[in-house]
Amino acid sequence: MALLARKEPRSLISFRGFGTVTGLCLFILYVPMLVLVVFSFNANRAVTVWGGFSLQWYAKAAYNGGLQNAAWNSLVVAVIATTVATAIATAAALATGRGQRFRGSQAFYMLVNLPLMLPEIIIAVGTLSFFALLGMKLSLLTIIIAHTVFCIPFAYLPIRSRLETMDARLEEAASDLYASPLDAYRHVTMPLLMPGIISGAMLAFVVSLDDFIITAMVAGAGSGTLPVYVYTQLKQGVTPEINAISTVLLAVSIVLVAASYFVAKAGSKHVRPATEQP
Amino acid sequence: MSRISTASTIAIAAFMMMPVAAHAEGSLAIFNWGDYISEEMVKKFEAKYDVKVTVDTYDSNETMLAKLKSGITGYDLAVPGDYMVEILIKEGLIEKVEPNTFENYKNLEPQWADVYWDQGRHYSVPWVWGTTSFTVSTKVYKGDVDTLGVMFNPPDELKGRINLLRDVNDVINAALRYLGLPRCNENPDDLKKVQALLTELKPSVKSFAYESKELAESGEVDLAQIWNGKAYLARKGRADLQYSYPKEGYTGWMDNLVVIKGAPNLENAKLFMNFLMDPENAAMMTNFTGYANGVLGSEKFVDPDLAKAHEYRPPEGAPKPEFVKVCNEKVIKLYDRLWTNFLK
Repeated sequence: MALLARKEPRSLISFRGFGTVTGLCLFILYVPMLVLVVFSFNANRAVTVWGGFSLQWYAKAAYNGGLQNAAWNSLVVAVIATTVATAIATAAALATGRGQRFRGSQAFYMLVNLPLMLPEIIIAVGTLSFFALLGMKLSLLTIIIAHTVFCIPFAYLPIRSRLETMDARLEEAASDLYASPLDAYRHVTMPLLMPGIISGAMLAFVVSLDDFIITAMVAGAGSGTLPVYVYTQLKQGVTPEINAISTVLLAVSIVLVAASYFVAKAGSKHVRPATEQP
Repeated sequence: MSRISTASTIAIAAFMMMPVAAHAEGSLAIFNWGDYISEEMVKKFEAKYDVKVTVDTYDSNETMLAKLKSGITGYDLAVPGDYMVEILIKEGLIEKVEPNTFENYKNLEPQWADVYWDQGRHYSVPWVWGTTSFTVSTKVYKGDVDTLGVMFNPPDELKGRINLLRDVNDVINAALRYLGLPRCNENPDDLKKVQALLTELKPSVKSFAYESKELAESGEVDLAQIWNGKAYLARKGRADLQYSYPKEGYTGWMDNLVVIKGAPNLENAKLFMNFLMDPENAAMMTNFTGYANGVLGSEKFVDPDLAKAHEYRPPEGAPKPEFVKVCNEKVIKLYDRLWTNFLK
């Protein structure tokens, strides 16, 4: 009964074994990546035998024409798909979060997020059949279209949740003070929503940059991306060049995820949750 | 779709095409296995014909087939394995370009003219070819390596030190050869024998993986089922490895260059096919991949160390490599069941 009588719930950290389990999880999650990064500096050709420190694999990767082309494709696809997906996601979030409730708005919410729940391979095969049906030649454009579609829910979720913590009365107050809907949107809604939009965009960017299954299916001549390039090299033998490329990818992903976290955090300081309003 | 978005779509598409069109007169798109083409050869082709070549990659014959079936890939050339050429011809996915009429066809080694997957070479020319057998450490095992007995009835020093390729056909075909039974076998008694052999072998196998080269080279295992080109590279890292040409037989395979149906750059594709059958160019492919090509007179351009390597070509007196066809559906199912039981 003593337990139930406590006023404060017991902190999770005080449970026995918490540290061990946490440590184990972090170990399993991050050691493989650490090994990958360490062996990217291997002087040896083998990926499992250490032969001293060297930057030769980074140099090799930098001089590899096929690799650079793939990296460029990845970047082009990620930038365009992120921009379009974020714009659509912002519009969708505003429509579902601020607009009048419409029939089927719950169904719409599910529909937007469906790509998160469907197995990727199904989307991949479906998208390929769709393009085939349209008779559209596979190219960078088809990759961009496919990426835009599956990036939308990734961008939508942070924007929508940001919108939910924003006080709708601020916009109403703007209207009361004779701001036109457009001005209210430009000077009140948009600046408040920006952190959500940025973190949504960064998430979409990372997801687009990492995607393999869908991209492999819808890539056409000369439009293979970095993950496709890396994966198809594996069977011919793994060299630390792969580790070097993967390390660079990893670094880009980490920087973006971290940036999106800090942007969201910095932004949340400026908004008081609705419950604290007098 | 509104007019604005149609326009921007077209603008984006045009932007994508631009870099390709700006550089060279023509273009050529190759769909290939990863890390499987000599960049030196590609550069030479580009310079000679003023054609911009792009290479995209796949990881298996089946992935390639799935994409080609969509019919909208825009690739000109692909590099399917032997059995896959037969399938692509049946499915009508490749062009009958009659390479046998090309100028450099005279350079083709005669043994590759009448292959089961393309009798008389109406569709394809050889890319490179190799064999699938095993390599074994002669420091650990001192006996005769040229028999499948080393793999299927391993002496104590090799027990638990074996890697097999994670490939149903490579393992079962080797077992059938060791037992002296026919390939594509659906006879229940024969398959029981295979099952018994594999069950007995199981405790001696350390791993089932494609990374044979890495495992053998690093000393993780002392016997590894492996492709000859990888065996050559593994020996460079660990000198006591010897590639086996078992007296019971072993698998041969060949990847082939084919032109995809509706190739946008048909003429350039044909040029490239002919270009590949030039001895000097074929040798570039060999030097890059470590596998032999099918072109007469290329030997003098091949890296001498590779050309005289034991792994490079089967030596005099070794049995001829066996090119195995795809079995019928029933056999594939039986093999799969056997294989799943083995891996369990």
